[in-house]
Amino acid sequence: MIDNQNPISPHLQIYRWHISSLLSITHRITGVVNLLALILIFFWLLTFSLGESHYELFLLVINSFFGKFILIGFTWSMSFHIFSGIRHLVWDMGYGLEIKTANISGVLVILSSLISTIIFWLLGKGLI
Amino acid sequence: MNATRKWILHRASAVILAPLFAWSYFSLISLSEKTYQETIYFFENPLFKILIIALFFIGFFHAKISLNEIFEDYIHDQKIKDVANLLASILSIVLPITILTLLIYKI
Repeated sequence: MIDNQNPISPHLQIYRWHISSLLSITHRITGVVNLLALILIFFWLLTFSLGESHYELFLLVINSFFGKFILIGFTWSMSFHIFSGIRHLVWDMGYGLEIKTANISGVLVILSSLISTIIFWLLGKGLI
Repeated sequence: MNATRKWILHRASAVILAPLFAWSYFSLISLSEKTYQETIYFFENPLFKILIIALFFIGFFHAKISLNEIFEDYIHDQKIKDVANLLASILSIVLPITILTLLIYKI
């Protein structure tokens, strides 16, 4: 085999991470996770329609430690995707494309997603 | 589907989906503390049923367009990509129709 010494283009892992690239890939990942959350809602309705015993088993799973971990994770994923989606929609309208503004809106997306996850759970559980 | 049309529909579905998904997920979290009987009471409201059916149809429509984009970017083998797109299409039809049937006849 011929030893090819030609330089190759730099790979993704050597680039320095920017908030823009981090949020871009996270938007995609959370989108896929949200599809899983939708499938969870599907199973919620399916077990509910199958009757009380099936539904109680579903509740047992989602109220376990592992279940709660998944539900909280899904809540953050949903919040992030919605806020990041709004950022994308604003970009689509031609606003906020300057580097500085995009960096600030990126930080705002992260903060808002974390805060709304906490508020969502406190409200959902009737704690506030 | 025409690319521009797809782009617009993807954004339009996102705008409808954001409040719908947040509301549905919020309901799931609230109802996770409630009993089977209390949950029956929740589903007695026809508006809630309509919103959940809308969530599934719009949600899977949005997801199908997004998955097509993701497969386009990461799957290089045309045959595998076609199969993946076909599976996404089947999923986005079967699940919403199952929900529609369940909510009309069973819940």
